[in-house]
Amino acid sequence: MAQKINFILNNVELSVESATGKTLLDFIRKDAKLTGTKEGCCREGDCGACTVLIGEIINDELHYKSVNSCLYPIGKVNGKHVVTIEGINSDELTPVQHAYTEENASQCGFCTPGFIISTTGYLLKNDKPNIDSAINAVAGNVCRCTGYVSIKRALNDIVEEMKLYDNSDNVITELISKKYIPEYFSTIKERLKRLEIIELKESNKTLIVGGGTDLYVQREDDLKNEDLVFVSADAAEKIYKEGNSIFITGSTTFQELAHSDVIKELIPNIEEVNKLIASLPIRNSATIAGNIVNASPIADMTIILLTLNTALHLNDNRTVPLREFFLGYKTLAKSETEIIEKIEIQIPEGKTLFNFEKVSKRTHLDIASVNSAFIISLEDKKIVSCGLSIGGVAPIPLFLKETSAYLEGKDLDTETIKGALKIIDKEISPISDVRGSAEYKRLLAKQMFKSHFIKLFPDKISVEDL
Amino acid sequence: MSRKIIKSKTYLYDEKIETIAEVPEKELELLPLNKDLKIIGKKIPRVDAEEKVTGTAVYTFDKSFTNIAYGKTLRSPHPFAKIESIDTSKAEKLKGVLKILTYKNAPDIGWYGSYSKLLDQTVRYEGDEVAFIVAETEAIAEKAMSLIDVKYKELDFVTDTLEAIKDNAPKIYEDSNIPKTRGHAHYSRGNFEEGIKNADVVIERDYTTQVAIHNPTEPHGSVVKWEDDQLIVWDSTQGVFSIRDTIANSLNMPESKVRVIKEYMGGGFGAKLEAGKYSVMAAIASKEIKRPVKVILDRKAMNLAVGNRPDSHQKIKAGAKKDGTLTAMGLTNYGTMGAYPAGAGAHWPLRSLYKCDNIETNEYRVFTNTGRARPFRAPGHVQGTFALESILDDLAEKIDMDPLEFRIKNFTPIDQDSKRPYTSKKLIEAYKMGAKAINWESRKPAGASDGIVKRGLGFASQIWWGGGSPPAYATVKMNRDGSVQVLCGTQDLGTGTYTIISQITAEVLEIPIDTIDVLIGDTQATPYAPSSGGSTTAPSISPAVYDAALQMKAKLIASASAVLDIPGKELTYSNGKIFETKNESNSITNPKLIRKMRERVLIATGARNQNTDKYAINTFGVQFADVEVNTLTGKVKVNKIVAAHDIGRTLNRLTLENQFHGGIIMGLSFALMDERVIDEYTGKVLTTNYHDYKMPTIKETPEIEVIIVSENDPLVSATGVKGIGEPAMIPTPGAIANAVYNAIGVRINSLPITPDKILTALNSRG
Ligand SMILES: Cc1cc2nc3c(=O)[nH]c(=O)nc-3n(C[C@H](O)[C@H](O)[C@H](O)COP(=O)(O)OP(=O)(O)OC[C@H]3O[C@@H](n4cnc5c(N)ncnc54)[C@H](O)[C@@H]3O)c2cc1C
Ligand code: FES
Ligand code: FES
Repeated sequence: MAQKINFILNNVELSVESATGKTLLDFIRKDAKLTGTKEGCCREGDCGACTVLIGEIINDELHYKSVNSCLYPIGKVNGKHVVTIEGINSDELTPVQHAYTEENASQCGFCTPGFIISTTGYLLKNDKPNIDSAINAVAGNVCRCTGYVSIKRALNDIVEEMKLYDNSDNVITELISKKYIPEYFSTIKERLKRLEIIELKESNKTLIVGGGTDLYVQREDDLKNEDLVFVSADAAEKIYKEGNSIFITGSTTFQELAHSDVIKELIPNIEEVNKLIASLPIRNSATIAGNIVNASPIADMTIILLTLNTALHLNDNRTVPLREFFLGYKTLAKSETEIIEKIEIQIPEGKTLFNFEKVSKRTHLDIASVNSAFIISLEDKKIVSCGLSIGGVAPIPLFLKETSAYLEGKDLDTETIKGALKIIDKEISPISDVRGSAEYKRLLAKQMFKSHFIKLFPDKISVEDL
Repeated sequence: MSRKIIKSKTYLYDEKIETIAEVPEKELELLPLNKDLKIIGKKIPRVDAEEKVTGTAVYTFDKSFTNIAYGKTLRSPHPFAKIESIDTSKAEKLKGVLKILTYKNAPDIGWYGSYSKLLDQTVRYEGDEVAFIVAETEAIAEKAMSLIDVKYKELDFVTDTLEAIKDNAPKIYEDSNIPKTRGHAHYSRGNFEEGIKNADVVIERDYTTQVAIHNPTEPHGSVVKWEDDQLIVWDSTQGVFSIRDTIANSLNMPESKVRVIKEYMGGGFGAKLEAGKYSVMAAIASKEIKRPVKVILDRKAMNLAVGNRPDSHQKIKAGAKKDGTLTAMGLTNYGTMGAYPAGAGAHWPLRSLYKCDNIETNEYRVFTNTGRARPFRAPGHVQGTFALESILDDLAEKIDMDPLEFRIKNFTPIDQDSKRPYTSKKLIEAYKMGAKAINWESRKPAGASDGIVKRGLGFASQIWWGGGSPPAYATVKMNRDGSVQVLCGTQDLGTGTYTIISQITAEVLEIPIDTIDVLIGDTQATPYAPSSGGSTTAPSISPAVYDAALQMKAKLIASASAVLDIPGKELTYSNGKIFETKNESNSITNPKLIRKMRERVLIATGARNQNTDKYAINTFGVQFADVEVNTLTGKVKVNKIVAAHDIGRTLNRLTLENQFHGGIIMGLSFALMDERVIDEYTGKVLTTNYHDYKMPTIKETPEIEVIIVSENDPLVSATGVKGIGEPAMIPTPGAIANAVYNAIGVRINSLPITPDKILTALNSRG
């Protein structure tokens, strides 16, 4: 099932005959024979050795983002610009490559092209670089040799150097003039516009792909020879407010959500929360809808949305409340071919406070052992409304209906919290697995619940009281 | 310069390895201290950086030929089984399948001593090799794998070390799971019982450490190609000569006909010291199908089949007097080799790090139905140091002594087995400087810091060998234009071997570093150098390179003497030029000289010197950890590590720091994350990918300060270099564990220290 896909690979227009489900990584290494892009042989987004940049025109501006090419279907690069390490190289080392060299930020070097791409992608994205966000940008790149300290130094050099420059309006022009990227980047926008975009055919209506970050990990073999259904980004705005609701379209990614002003009104620390989820290249691809449909019991975004009154709008005009969407372990109130077009959040009344907790073996780029989100609205001392969800303690991402109901109308004090802890104990049913024993998860769930209050009301609730 | 043949002794674990080696007749002139040098010791960026940052470095993983075929290994899904039948007919019919090897048609080649074969009918762990398929593409090979019909007779298995030693446990071989030969190792000095009796306080504790997987980023793999009767193997390896010999031996061919080349390789950490079955299987298939074959392991195979750090189950009993004198230490330890023989001990630090007259250790190597262990960065020492330093901290607390003072009290300037003094042991200096850098004074009693997030400080010390030894040789060639090529049979694992060889040569010959080309990792082109393991590469090869460069210099001066007709004594060599000392204008450059000599290439070969008999050669160091623990969630965050070590001369501050940072993060990983998990009911490994097998990212990286307390160790060699790769990792887990205890006041005696264990421990304390 091969069809034509048109895109630009580095500095070359390509028209490739391929099933749209083939991974971009296999195309790059095996077909295009560009071996600078490595495969940390994980093929599941966990090492970053395969990182490439994807450039696309959004609102008449060329934007780049980093993605894991091992999880990226080639169909998704239709009409876009793909940049591998070969597309960054020019006659002399770029300042990024130079900094990595000077600081010895490469040992065996197998991870290095991935780091160079992530760092360059970061500069293409940020006009005001700083060391913390630069570090975040490479947090999806695993290096077993360097211990990362030299990489931090290289990032620091790069960030300091960037600070010296005036920020012009156009990052791309700026980076070209400073030789961070080759000259040809200046022609890409026009060349992308000239590309003939061919509408892609679909061979299997059940193979719906958002970011592919779950699907490719779970079943690449079923996808690589197929023509997939790509969730399209039709709406002008991906996240918008209408009446009393916020709408998130089906193709919205984690990264887009975290940078949405509309969402920030509701969840002010969403950017911080987002950093605890996966890695930047994953967040650049992973969609909110995919997180929901994948139905992992610890799905972070789903756990967050469960605290709110959220409804899913499907493509056949059906609407299902999120809290009723999960019927059992990975069983959903949706048919195999139904697509989530929009996610609607009812904006709660009054002023709300939000907190999110996640504990995993590794703080970053790891799936939670247990996670929990909590939203609460108070009037004086009284809890007017609240929503509590906990992940990793049931076969589904769990909204704690009874605990939430119990809390509503009560005074915010130690007694109330202690009472709620008893109900939590009944509502959850964790099992033992690689991420921890059942007892531990039960304990953790309760600790997190306490933590919500300690963090949100440090003057009212202290750890000693609990 | 003349040579002599000597018996050379090196010490590594219990083995006093005796080799016969060719060494320089006379001691070489000592390399001056770094402050008097121009290139050595400086922050010289690695010479191969450009290829790495541009992605143009070609790894075995990237190697290809136009008509290459691909190999894949079918592995046992069962922890223990006998193959009753294997039917490859369907797979063979698949278009594009070129060759399938199984135990039925593969040559009878012994593997793991006599314990198994290249392809054996019995498989003893999940991941053991069952068949090897070669096909036009990887996808076809994979498809073929699924078409091979294997009927297994599953056998009762055991994967847990402590279960395996029980009488009623399934036996992996006829012999017991602790083999009769070399299954038990005993060591004692003094009188342990007596020492315990003389102690004022005695404590006994159990410690366990997990099985950890090397997981380098580049997987293991080979590309093999026959050229007539010569076999060329590109391998991602730490030892080209060792691979060559195993392959030649397996295929029963002359070693001269096997050429092993290691170009760039993506990390090894001990796992790539020995030849893999895949190289031999690929060579057999390649010969038959008359095409080059590439075989690369996938991440699952990496986690199952190419080695690990064995677990340890250590029981330690230790006693001390109130004044801090250690009176006795005893250890019983069980560690699993996996299904085939391997090392699994951990007693060395306890035996050698501190002064203690009465020691008794009993160690048992246990067979289980799991992947076989291989050396992993400081084998045994990482596990052993964690346990030793934990119990010493507990003892110090019991006698109410500062733990640092306790260690200083039990300092030993001599090796307690051989009674020889150490060539250098600046551990006290390291303690002092490290303590200052971490602000040890600010340390509070255990559990005394308040708040939800508690802070703690801890430290652990380190002993390792790492002195290097002969035989190791290097050849320096100077061409007519003055450019130089250095040949050496060593490897660069990313450690910086290319760079240090260039530096030494540039320093001695006073020529620009970019006129030096280094060729290593090729059995056909280079003189012999040992495998890169045990932190011996730089200490073994640096004196050989230094010797070769010195000889080249001497040769140039002698030749200039003949050409200029001036006695050598009256000549000076400087910056690639020889001149009459009293009349600098009477000079000749290297290129002009070689032209005059009508030579095209000048050659000099250097050799590693003999090791001293009078001293023990070791490395020492201490690491301090500053951590914080969230008592609500059990999360540990390491804020800072200070590493202060005595490791001889620093050849290159940048590569040195790289080694320390990398070792420390690997230690942090072992303390908090690394862990192979096996499901005891199915015997299957649950952590076979990066998703479940966690290693740190840049976000978990603490601040790291590296302090080197030594300038040089001239008693080791003329370059005074000792190894650092392993010393860097050894103390980290122990330091973190002690800091965690200091933070929360509860001991976690098993690694990794996960939020799970901390929370459970805090909670059971109430
Ligand atoms: C390295 C790594 C780290 C990760 N870390 C985290 C983490 O920390 N927290 C976390 O929650 N998750 C994590 N994930 C999981 C994953 O990234 C998320 O679940 C993500 O939201 C999935 O979205 P996607 O768009 O990539 O889904 P896809 O893989 O495209 O699809 C997932 C499922 O949803 C279906 N689907 C997708 N879009 C739609 C739609 N619009 N309508 C109907 N069905 C649809 C697909 O058919 C499929 O069944 C991680 C994944 C990786 C690889
Ligand atoms: S290969 Fe590891 S993230 Fe893609
Ligand atoms: S340099 Fe080896 S993995 Fe990063």
